[in-house]
Amino acid sequence: MANKKFGFLSGLLSMSLLLAACGNNNESAGTGTASDEETKDAGVVNLYTSRHYETDDALFDQFTEETGIEVNVVKGEEDELMERLTREGEATEADLFYTADAGRLHWAKEKGLLQSVESDTLNANVPENYRDVDNQWFGLTKRARIIVYAKDRVQPEDLSTYEALTEEQWNKKVLIRSSDNVYNQSLVASFISLNGADAAKEWAQGIVNNMARDPEGGDRDQAKAVVAGIGDAAVMNTYYFGQLLNSEDAEEVKVAEQLGVFFPNQETTGTHVNVSGAGVTKHAKNKENAIKFLEFLSSEDAQGQFSEANFEYPVNPNVEPAELLASWGEFKAQDLNLSELGKYNADALKLMNEAGWK
Amino acid sequence: MNVIRFIRLHVNSWSIMSIIFTLLILSPALSIFFQIFEKPNENWAHIQEFLLKNYIQNTLMIVFFTGLFSILIGVSLAWFVTAYRFPLRRFFKWGLILPLAIPPYIGAYTYHGIVNYTGVLQSTLRNEFNITANPAYFDIMNIPGAIFIFTIFLYPYVYIITRAYLEQQSASLIENARLLGSGPLELFFRVIMPISRTAIIGGASLVILEVLNDYGVVSYFGIQVITTAIFQAWFGMSDVASAIKLAGMLMAIVFLILFLEKVLRGRKQYSYSNAKVRPLEPISLSREKTILLFGYVMFIFTAGFLIPFVQLFQWMMMTYEKVVSPDFLQLIFNSVYVSLISAFIIMIIALVIGNFIRLSDSPWSKAVSRVTVLGYSIPGAVIAIGVLTFFLWLDRHLNTVYTALGIDAPIILSLGLGMLIFAYVSRFLAIGFNPVDAGFDKIGRSFTEASRLLGTSLMRTFFKVDLPMIRGAVFGGFTLVFIEVMKELPLTLLLQPFNFYTLSTKAFQYANDEAVHEAALASMLIILISGLSIFVFHAVLEKEKK
Repeated sequence: MANKKFGFLSGLLSMSLLLAACGNNNESAGTGTASDEETKDAGVVNLYTSRHYETDDALFDQFTEETGIEVNVVKGEEDELMERLTREGEATEADLFYTADAGRLHWAKEKGLLQSVESDTLNANVPENYRDVDNQWFGLTKRARIIVYAKDRVQPEDLSTYEALTEEQWNKKVLIRSSDNVYNQSLVASFISLNGADAAKEWAQGIVNNMARDPEGGDRDQAKAVVAGIGDAAVMNTYYFGQLLNSEDAEEVKVAEQLGVFFPNQETTGTHVNVSGAGVTKHAKNKENAIKFLEFLSSEDAQGQFSEANFEYPVNPNVEPAELLASWGEFKAQDLNLSELGKYNADALKLMNEAGWK
Repeated sequence: MNVIRFIRLHVNSWSIMSIIFTLLILSPALSIFFQIFEKPNENWAHIQEFLLKNYIQNTLMIVFFTGLFSILIGVSLAWFVTAYRFPLRRFFKWGLILPLAIPPYIGAYTYHGIVNYTGVLQSTLRNEFNITANPAYFDIMNIPGAIFIFTIFLYPYVYIITRAYLEQQSASLIENARLLGSGPLELFFRVIMPISRTAIIGGASLVILEVLNDYGVVSYFGIQVITTAIFQAWFGMSDVASAIKLAGMLMAIVFLILFLEKVLRGRKQYSYSNAKVRPLEPISLSREKTILLFGYVMFIFTAGFLIPFVQLFQWMMMTYEKVVSPDFLQLIFNSVYVSLISAFIIMIIALVIGNFIRLSDSPWSKAVSRVTVLGYSIPGAVIAIGVLTFFLWLDRHLNTVYTALGIDAPIILSLGLGMLIFAYVSRFLAIGFNPVDAGFDKIGRSFTEASRLLGTSLMRTFFKVDLPMIRGAVFGGFTLVFIEVMKELPLTLLLQPFNFYTLSTKAFQYANDEAVHEAALASMLIILISGLSIFVFHAVLEKEKK
């Protein structure tokens, strides 16, 4: 009697485990059949992405509509997704890795997670410095890391370069977020590449000295802190500034309207630009579809949508940036192959730690 | 001879199941634990020189004060609700658990949204009263702010466990103390705090564990703690070895805390002295005191639930049209589905292990109970990688089976929902196990032994005698696990199958992009479902009492 009950209990447990494990495998659409027909694509493309934008979802749907290829998505955080790809190795079902920082894309390549892709369309749509030298990843959208300033206190003439923010007159007036943030890491990495490690460290030290407060919050919080009078200038991404200007919250819009946009280093090395981009994974089971998908995202139609709906600069030179972005004017970007951002990421992080950048 | 005797005494289906469960579930955490002793590399020197001291200081500071305040608030509320009459007391009994329904990182986003420059406080002052206040007064993104967030959303752990204890255990002691002329303060500090020590420490250790493995709040506030260092080492420097060393240190802190708990608990037995539990009758206070008491309770409830709830509601209305879609039905289903299954599995395992520990005297059975918290002591992302590695290993070894079955796919298990649920079970076992353990602790062994003497089998005794007595604890554990899984984020993000989203990942999707307003709908749904489960839990318990 007793043992029957126990048997029932453990039976129930293992059943539920088993059900949970198997039952849902069928739901992960198409992944099982993908490798059945390795030579012929199974009509799906499987994506690991760290971008969480509705614009992306809409574009994925549009791609499915146009080609009949279904897009399966895992949305996570870039570093964790890379770790997952690494651990899965050959067995992975992911065909594409898509993330919002060139440094991370370069890392994915270094770790042997991506493969080279030959596509005339991609070569034509994505300029050379925004894609990997071996075509292992392709930039799809650009963001500039700009300086925003309080219009009532700061004249644009007072601003010139990132380096100038470390000067005495900006003491206790600069706002920037934590060294945890990948955009800041890439910014410092770009300085290492352009000016050398010593200069980059000096800059980080100078910024830490001039910080209006210990770093806290996201990019939008830096903008708000300028308007609140905590500091006079903040370093932030154009993308977030666009979001702030178009917020559902009227107070946030008011904040954005009190800020001026400044593209630094126009006379010298150029404004820091980073990309969102994607690469085909080394062990992709649906390589053809993955390439089609990349070509679609770099097409004029998709690039226009990125810019209009998500305030990102298109990489495709044939596409004009959205009206808002265009209103900030054209600018000179750093002349840098973005792989450099990944190459110097670890150095950048260490150097920021050493400078006491929290 | 001795060996056989030992085996006959200690080996039964319970012990075997316990060991198997424990090993299986803790294998990911254990694999991390043993890597602490790896040789350090050059990154480790960097971490030690520039990060470690500061990080450990911050961590200890947050842990200490959050623990302290959670205990003060949790115990005082538990005491007031049990011992005094005041308006809405019946509602507050369960209402004071509601802050637990709000994930701390969503609480952090919400509070920051309220107090920042464009938030309702400062903008009202500016626009309506033309006062521009010093924004520094409104800054909560610092260590005190983090302590506030953790305390106000996590104190219910202490509250629930302490209240349950006081309600059932304290009547005679408290009435005696009153008869002997103890004033309320003396009563609280000299009677209530000491007698509910076990319950308090049990609740507080859950709070502390939750704080230690949090990444959402601290990274949003830009506070550097050990978890930050783990992520920096792992992802920033690609240095798994250093990251795991740090995770191991975090575990060491956890074990130190648990060890202290054991020492503090000492040899005291807290089992029922007789079968009849007499509840404490609440007494009435003077008008002024009642108002004061009501004010305090209302204040905590407002800060921990009402304010964030109302703010999220306003944001939800603001962005509703932009965000809502039929997909939300699927999200609700997914969230509830994984939460229910995980809670169910965890409670079965907790019962098996709990019963085994109670009936066994051997030291290693106590060890089993201590390791159940391993999964809860390290950041979710680290556990997740452990689970993923384990499942990929399984897949590799099952490959021949797959081929034999005619399935031509390299990985099956590590793509399914099973892996995610396994990870939840591994992580939250402590949450379900603690109440069960406390429940078994309370009933002791005398009833079981009596039943066994009367010739009832171990299994039958369990179902007929033990289980009914700890029904409340089991149900409580189930509810807590359900809520935890609803709120869970890092494991879900890392181990989700394709196209599988939950309310939690949906809220994250927006919040991560600094679109806090848009995250409100998903956050509200998490809070409503968790809140509802708290209410059902309470209603069922009340009904049982009658």
